[in-house]
Amino acid sequence: MARDTSEAAPGSSVTRRVRRTVLIGAAVAAVVVATAPFQLDIYTKNILIRAFFLAALAMTVDVLWGYTGILTFGQSAFFGIGAYACALVATHYGFGPFWFAGSFLLALLAAVAVAWLIGWLAFYHGASPLYASIVTLALPIVLVQLIFAGGRFTGSSSGISAFPTYYWAFETWFWIAGGYLIAVTALGYLLVSSDFGRLLVAIRENEERCAYLGIPVSRIKILLMMAAGAIGAGAGFGYAAFTNVVAPELGGFLLGTELLIFTALGGRGTLIGPVLGTIGIDVTASYLSGSLPFLWKLITGVAFVVVIVLLPQGLIPILGKGLRRLWPFPRAAARDAVVLRGFEPTTPHGETRSAPLRTADLLRHYGSLKVLDGIAIESRGSELLSIVGPNGAGKTTLMRCISDGGERSGGEVYVNGTEIGRGSPQSVVALGIGRSFQNTNLFETLTVGECLMLARWRIDGASLFSRRNEVALPTPALGILEATGLDKALGTETRNLSHGQKRGLELAMVLATEPSVLLLDEPTAGLTKAERTAIGSVLTSLARVHGLSILLIEHDLDFVRDISDRIVVLHQGALLMEGTVEEVIASDLVKAVYSGQAVETAS
Amino acid sequence: MTLRPLSIAAVVAALAAAPAIAADTIKIGIPVGLSGANSVVAPSVVQSSEYAAKEINDAGGILGMKVELVVADDNSGAQGAQRAFESLVYEEKVNVLISMETSAARNAGLPIVNRGRTPYIYTSFYEGRSCSPWMYVNAWVPEQQVAPIVDHFMAEYGAKTFFLVGSDYAFGRGMLEFTRSYVEANGGTVLGEEYLPMDGSDWTAIISQLKASGADALITSTAGGAPNVTLTKQLRAAGVDMPYGNLAVDEGTAKSMGADATGIYIAASYVTGIDSAENKAFLEGMTATFGDDLITPNDLSVPQYEAIYAYKAAVEAAGSTDPQAVIDALDDVSVTGPRGTITMDAQRHAPLTMYLGQVQADGSVKVIQSFENVDPGDQCPQFAG
Amino acid sequence: MANLALDMITTSAILFVVASGLMIILGVMKLINFAHGAFLTLGGYAAYLTTEAGLSPWLAPLLAGAVGFGVGIVVERVIVRPLYHRPLDAILATWGLGIIIGQLITIGFGREVQFAASPMTGTLDLGGIEYSAYRLTLTAVALAIGGALTALLYLTRFGLNARAVIMNETLARGLGIDSARVRLLTFGLGAGLACGAGALITPLLSVDPNMGLPWLVNSFMLVLVSGVSIPSLALASLILGSAQVAVSSYISPIIGGLTIVVLAAVLLRLYPKGLGRGT
Repeated sequence: MARDTSEAAPGSSVTRRVRRTVLIGAAVAAVVVATAPFQLDIYTKNILIRAFFLAALAMTVDVLWGYTGILTFGQSAFFGIGAYACALVATHYGFGPFWFAGSFLLALLAAVAVAWLIGWLAFYHGASPLYASIVTLALPIVLVQLIFAGGRFTGSSSGISAFPTYYWAFETWFWIAGGYLIAVTALGYLLVSSDFGRLLVAIRENEERCAYLGIPVSRIKILLMMAAGAIGAGAGFGYAAFTNVVAPELGGFLLGTELLIFTALGGRGTLIGPVLGTIGIDVTASYLSGSLPFLWKLITGVAFVVVIVLLPQGLIPILGKGLRRLWPFPRAAARDAVVLRGFEPTTPHGETRSAPLRTADLLRHYGSLKVLDGIAIESRGSELLSIVGPNGAGKTTLMRCISDGGERSGGEVYVNGTEIGRGSPQSVVALGIGRSFQNTNLFETLTVGECLMLARWRIDGASLFSRRNEVALPTPALGILEATGLDKALGTETRNLSHGQKRGLELAMVLATEPSVLLLDEPTAGLTKAERTAIGSVLTSLARVHGLSILLIEHDLDFVRDISDRIVVLHQGALLMEGTVEEVIASDLVKAVYSGQAVETAS
Repeated sequence: MTLRPLSIAAVVAALAAAPAIAADTIKIGIPVGLSGANSVVAPSVVQSSEYAAKEINDAGGILGMKVELVVADDNSGAQGAQRAFESLVYEEKVNVLISMETSAARNAGLPIVNRGRTPYIYTSFYEGRSCSPWMYVNAWVPEQQVAPIVDHFMAEYGAKTFFLVGSDYAFGRGMLEFTRSYVEANGGTVLGEEYLPMDGSDWTAIISQLKASGADALITSTAGGAPNVTLTKQLRAAGVDMPYGNLAVDEGTAKSMGADATGIYIAASYVTGIDSAENKAFLEGMTATFGDDLITPNDLSVPQYEAIYAYKAAVEAAGSTDPQAVIDALDDVSVTGPRGTITMDAQRHAPLTMYLGQVQADGSVKVIQSFENVDPGDQCPQFAG
Repeated sequence: MANLALDMITTSAILFVVASGLMIILGVMKLINFAHGAFLTLGGYAAYLTTEAGLSPWLAPLLAGAVGFGVGIVVERVIVRPLYHRPLDAILATWGLGIIIGQLITIGFGREVQFAASPMTGTLDLGGIEYSAYRLTLTAVALAIGGALTALLYLTRFGLNARAVIMNETLARGLGIDSARVRLLTFGLGAGLACGAGALITPLLSVDPNMGLPWLVNSFMLVLVSGVSIPSLALASLILGSAQVAVSSYISPIIGGLTIVVLAAVLLRLYPKGLGRGT
């Protein structure tokens, strides 16, 4: 039943508005591109044709860097791959409509294959953003070296020129280049304005949290890289076919950094900014760099540093702001309040199945320091199990080892009977784990509604080119939103929420993923008494009514006593004691631990 | 096909692009690397061009028309060259392009030259075999430069085994490929042929292999500037003292390298010490014109100077600046300049007199031997005869 | 064979010298200084000016280091400080700075190669093997720099503060350490080391506006592989430097030129935290 949420109406008002904007924008651009060749001299036309292809490439840099936070130095490599596919096939194999189309396809395939390899290298779970940058930096360096080493075949440093190509009129090429740019930019604009686009922003802002919502971050980044690679290769192909020249610099590291400069100056995360920025800078460079050869580069360098340090949003948005005063038009991230719809989740049949969560001999050590030492716990359905222990007992580490297969040093973790292996967080989430965090760093620039949609991604998916206006949530999640007043604040960006609301949203998001085992790390920290009571009753009802198995880390022992069924006490990485609330409260051992006396661990 | 309107547009474009024939000045486009790798030599090329234009204008111009130079920076690379060539061909509508450039820049410019139907004289030595119906070359190719050095090493030092080192780029590879075949054709052996990436500066492994190979002689063909200097420095630091022929060093660089360059053999079509009336007049004129600002003329700036005269001769022979007529005439005209009398009649390339020199302790280049009219060999067979 | 071993050791030593400035900055400030290549270049020109002025070439690295320290202090104040919380932007801003330095040098000196006098030339006889005297000297200098940096970090007040900031900046600030000052001095030190290194490698290279660029990527890779500690940087230099020499000698110098980049990317995929810190 829970999986049976009908697709939300495809045409939400936001979607309609975005589509209208794209349509109008594309139509205006198309008219400009269609008529411009008749107004411009040949020189300007030539410059613009090349700038259009570069701008399409810069657009992909913005999707990767501006929206998704992948700082790529290597997008030029895909441009180079496309360009060389065109030149090499025409030079060495054949030319004609069939060869031309075939080499275009080859360019896309090669780019997609390389992008997959790069993505696989750079976007494994836990990779630092810096590592991704390193890999994208290595790519053009390796590519250019290969081109140099290719001797006669690739033309080495001289490149290849005057290979057979279509000497269509400049107007035709102008329309091809302009059409390509408009098409891919419109596509990109629809993408970043869609639910999927919000997901990209979420990945940029908090990749780890995305993974713990069951979102396959690595796969999404790899797919995005492949799409961006293909678009870049297409642009490179067009560039080579038009100019009739390829040279190693088209795939080089310097062009890769220039693209970042274009994107930064134009305004990252605006899509239109980098496109206009690239065209503007390239055209200016064509007219100025001839007369100011060294000064021009110095000016770009200074402008780049100034923009990065002082105006991280770039120049075009500043112009845009002025423009918007004159003519208000919808922003890329146009937002509507979403509508919530509740449904009854299926109840896990805790009694008949194996334990929802079981660990055996769980080990975690950093070098010689053992943080967890042979932990064996088992939770049951419809049960609230609290984990207590002084600071540094290993409570949070335990949760991390349960929810991320890559974390533990030894032992097994079974979720609903399946061993998690070395699985990434999102694969563990898929088994039925839901985890909340101690800190309340949510996705700062996303609204409450968008966060909830994000949490439903694993189950409902996200549409690539449209936005929904309805989110289906299991009733417990809805209950929390109502209790904290969040259902009235769906359009608010999360950074503007109160601390209590952030905690409530956090919990609602975890519940939206429909877990059977809930791992909660201090869900009541910093809350008022009233809020704490509300959360407490939600948790009890989740366990009692909905059959969830809940693991709770808490410092507030009164709270623990009120709601727990069982308590596990950790001390210095070892299981000190396990029992009912009464047993643990009565234990002298536990009292001693909490009062800070030196205690011999039970193991 | 419904492309008819487009074809009309194409014709219009082509007409617009054609050089203005009835102008009263002749515009010579000089795309050159004012920035980037070539910025070191570019000023000397601009200077010799200015000198040629001044001489021609002082003597009444070409067919009564004044010569005007239009210099454009190509950033020594492909993208910059596209901008420079487009600006010269389509915006400035120059009558001819005459320039020394990197191979990448030349290749990037050729399609524009072809589309714009503009005569182009390339004045830089290069790796050879670049052909276009609109291009002539008046500088040397491997066939002309390598032989003097290899012959000399074999005859003077009895060298049988050679080691070749280069930068991994078209010129480096082209030169050494030819060197290898030339050495082998003359009964020698090549013990090693190693390349370092163009921006590489650590020659350690290659030098160790060179020393271990026990070769009789070394021939190098690196990129100009930094790689040449780092290789030479590191060779000297490692104590390499076998006969050393450098295919990429010019007089000026050799001089500034100081002690490290002493003893290096070079081959060139121009050295300042050429003992002819034309060369003396040229050097005196240049000194008088530029005074203290004079940049020493070299194997790149002198062909540039002569190419402008070749274009003048071709226009005068054709009686107009019509591109096709000029291209046809360029095959026949000859120019007597500082390098001697040169005709670009060998498949769009020119037989040249080559000079073998050795760098002396004071940095000057001493001419050891000269080789008359060395043939460039098969460069562009499609333009033979 | 002995020659190969010497090549490996001296190449590693040069890499260590070149990368040390980048590592100090990464360690304390957690940011990658992409102007590192430009600082190396600046050092080369400082060496050129030193010997042009008729001073001893042995002074060049010291003067270059002083110049670098001064430039580093200014750069930290103006460009780096606003970007502490935007590490990826710091990479870009320092890259932009590199462009600016490179262009200013080009405008000032032109693109041509400049020649700085070498402090020593020729070879030393090591039991039958003739080997470049300067490369051997550089190896000794590398050891001295490694020792001096270790002493600085472990025997001085600044070192103590810097180590505290490396381990836990919030805590260090809580203990009353002026972390802004530590960062300022660190950036100056890192820039000074980079310029000094530029001057040190000048006798083997040419001085031109792009001389530092090829070293940037390799240093960057080395530092990321090594993590933040002097012994592990030495280890990483030794491993990757030796691999580069081995590949250049036995396979091809062209692939050799890619060795560090590719090997580092693969090593980091296998040991994401670098060699210095276990997983």
